[in-house]
Amino acid sequence: MQINLRHKGSVTILDIEGNLVGPNTIALKNIIDNQIQEASGQPVFMILNMERVQMMDSSGLGVIVAAYASIRRNNGRVVLLNIGGNIRSLIVMAKLVTIFDRYDTEAEAIASFF
Amino acid sequence: MGEKTQLRIFLSLPSTMQLIYLLDTVISDILREMNFDEETQEHVNLAVIEAGTNAIKHGNKEDTNKTATFEFLIEDDKLTIVITDEGPGFQREDVANPLEPENLLKSSGRGLFLMEACMDEVIYEAEGTIVKMIKFKQSPNL
Repeated sequence: MQINLRHKGSVTILDIEGNLVGPNTIALKNIIDNQIQEASGQPVFMILNMERVQMMDSSGLGVIVAAYASIRRNNGRVVLLNIGGNIRSLIVMAKLVTIFDRYDTEAEAIASFF
Repeated sequence: MGEKTQLRIFLSLPSTMQLIYLLDTVISDILREMNFDEETQEHVNLAVIEAGTNAIKHGNKEDTNKTATFEFLIEDDKLTIVITDEGPGFQREDVANPLEPENLLKSSGRGLFLMEACMDEVIYEAEGTIVKMIKFKQSPNL
């Protein structure tokens, strides 16, 4: 799995590629935790670009739920970009559809923070 | 009356999460061969990964001296998957419902729920150390 970290203004974007499954999820968790730590209590605005994520399991789901909870604690937001049908279905099954805002374009996702 | 076609595939893995990807490879090929539709393939694949994670991580505590076994029984009308671990087992009723509002934002505890949501039947035997999961070629409700 590969994760590319980039910033657009105050928005952090993580482009994730590969399966968000099992031990793979640790890398994503570490990157998110580092971003939260570096923000030193300031709100984090984060986009998880999942266009190239083919599969996600409960471990992957756990990482993005934990990110949502941690980031919200400091009045930040994490949103999902370009999720495929299988991941959408997983989020619906887990009743997390009302928790995560989802966007189809990066511009829409960025605009949602302002 | 014709005989039912049956094929049995058996996989035995040392308990390391690094091998979970082998499961993905094996089950993906089986599902393609059985001509399940794409959505069903994704669901069964997820259920097998979740069951494998439970057996290796939670059951066998990633002790590589312990083995997790996966038996795939392929029949014309259904796929049965039996997962066995060497752990202490668990009681299904002791595992909280992840859909309850107080559990929605927990970072873990969704594995069994997803297995049950993705398969037609999930049966826990021998104190949860044996899990049998069934997917029918056509929904049993039809």
